[in-house]
Amino acid sequence: MSVIASSSTGNRLRNLGKGVVFYAFIIGFCVIVLFPVYWMIVNAIQPLNHGMQFPPPLFPKEISFLPFITLFENYPVARWLVNSLLLAGMATLIVLALAVLGSFAMTFLKWRGKAAFGLLLLMTQMLPEALVVIPVYAMYSNLGLSDSLPALSLIDAAFILPICIWILKNSFDSIAEEIYEAALIDGCSPLGALLRTLLPLSTPGLVAISVVSFFYAWNEYLFAVTLIQSPDSRPVAVGLASLKVMLDTPIDRVLAAALFFSVFPVVFYLLIQRYIVAGLSAGAVKG
Amino acid sequence: MTFKVHRSQGFPLDAGNIERMAQATIAEQVERVPRRGRDRQSSLAYTLVFMIVAYLGVFILFPIVQQVLTSFSNNVVGINEVTWVGLRNYERLLDDPKFWVAVRVTFTYMAFVMTGSVIIGLGAALLLNRQFRGRNMARSVIAVPWAFPEISAVLVFIWMCNPTFGVLNMLALMFPGVETNPNWLTDPNMAMPLVIVISIWKAFPFAFLVILASLQAIPRDLYEAAEVDGASKLQMLRYITIPEITPTLLLMSVLMAIFSFKQFTLIWLTTGGGPYGGITETMVLRIYQTAFRFFDLAYGATLGVAAFIIVLGLTLLFVYAQHRQDRARKR
Repeated sequence: MSVIASSSTGNRLRNLGKGVVFYAFIIGFCVIVLFPVYWMIVNAIQPLNHGMQFPPPLFPKEISFLPFITLFENYPVARWLVNSLLLAGMATLIVLALAVLGSFAMTFLKWRGKAAFGLLLLMTQMLPEALVVIPVYAMYSNLGLSDSLPALSLIDAAFILPICIWILKNSFDSIAEEIYEAALIDGCSPLGALLRTLLPLSTPGLVAISVVSFFYAWNEYLFAVTLIQSPDSRPVAVGLASLKVMLDTPIDRVLAAALFFSVFPVVFYLLIQRYIVAGLSAGAVKG
Repeated sequence: MTFKVHRSQGFPLDAGNIERMAQATIAEQVERVPRRGRDRQSSLAYTLVFMIVAYLGVFILFPIVQQVLTSFSNNVVGINEVTWVGLRNYERLLDDPKFWVAVRVTFTYMAFVMTGSVIIGLGAALLLNRQFRGRNMARSVIAVPWAFPEISAVLVFIWMCNPTFGVLNMLALMFPGVETNPNWLTDPNMAMPLVIVISIWKAFPFAFLVILASLQAIPRDLYEAAEVDGASKLQMLRYITIPEITPTLLLMSVLMAIFSFKQFTLIWLTTGGGPYGGITETMVLRIYQTAFRFFDLAYGATLGVAAFIIVLGLTLLFVYAQHRQDRARKR
């Protein structure tokens, strides 16, 4: 009896030990992964003099919103935000319209050339932006479209469209074909069936591609910095990078701006990661 | 072109069908309905697809064609007369030591970012592929860098690497033999490893999410059967888990290679290709510099064509990897 009892306590202890090691490992890993984010927050919410000393304190000694206040007072951040919202909003609308039609054709319609179309989408999604930035810049200059946010949203939308078609197609794939056919038999036209039955059934996919395309345009730097010259039309991404170039910008303000810029994408991406990953593991790709 | 032809054929065919249907027996009508349906379907499909191809054509395909043409010219900003120069730019490319440096830098960067992200992503996925309290939270935490904008990541990393105040100095000073703060990003020996580390931090969570999803798709009964047969945990990993996710790992490796090949913003804002001599200058940075700093549009386009060929190769690899994964899934 006593032998069995002691061996089971031994087992339990060993399991407990294993559990502790396991949790320590997970927590350690998460701490390392999150440290840069933590460091950004710490430096954005403490008075500048704490960051500008060595060794820096690892935990904030006092909290102050001065970095944010001075940021909004001294730099046209509000203007940048409005520009980014406009830019990303327009890109999202274009992507939504075209991705819905493209995924619909890929999933529910029968036509020849599907494979070639898929390959074309794949090719364009693999292309580096840097490959087309020069001719696009020349084209926009000739047409007098440089400095125009709608024109910038057009090229952003083109680059994120292929991925969004894959993600939405994955969402359409999970709808039984009978549902679409039933709508046709009930007298819907194909596009009517798409609008009335397919779209309401694929809300998660629509939300996912909205988030993906919105934040692609929100984060995009190369096209924005090349095509937008006047400070008034700058989106946040360009404005933020310009803070880095201006050497006199105090670091607390730079990181406050970076924090402000990152909150929205992080929150939205984490909310929809399940849908994006489902699309991704089926072969679609976030760029 | 082909799309247009199909579209214009659609209407007369439909009209003909309606005429014939008016005289046809019911039996014939029933026979024809699906056929008519298919014609209308494909003409609708071609209209939709034509819109998308036209859109991508204007903004992506047309610029690519233009790049190819420019690469055969002597177009430099400010030149009086642009003429065709045949293969001269390509001869220059092959003799250009800076091009070969950029190729080497690109492939070094790709190799390290790809291996690093897939291995760390796999490790994290294996760790989280079991039931424990706080698992969903850990999963979200690890996904954060993926959702994090590149520019913000760069700004905070530059601050962490500040030679005077950077927090990484505290870590470096713990190592024996390190007496003073390193120069970090301006040190030619450290710039590339640092850029790689930042890139892996940004890239591995994506590999992690996809690998975790594929781990969870492995049928439970495989493990149960192995347990009955008395297999150890390590044997299960070696003979069940790894073979089951090999197609996904392959796909992820190709994807990570493509992502790192495309990477511009992160490298550009961290080092700008420097600290000097193009130590961290990958091909996409070189293209950008050639066109926008040296205004050599023709040579920039030539570099672009070289990069395009590499992208084509990587895409073919991706198609192959995807094909393998599909086959594995069906099996």
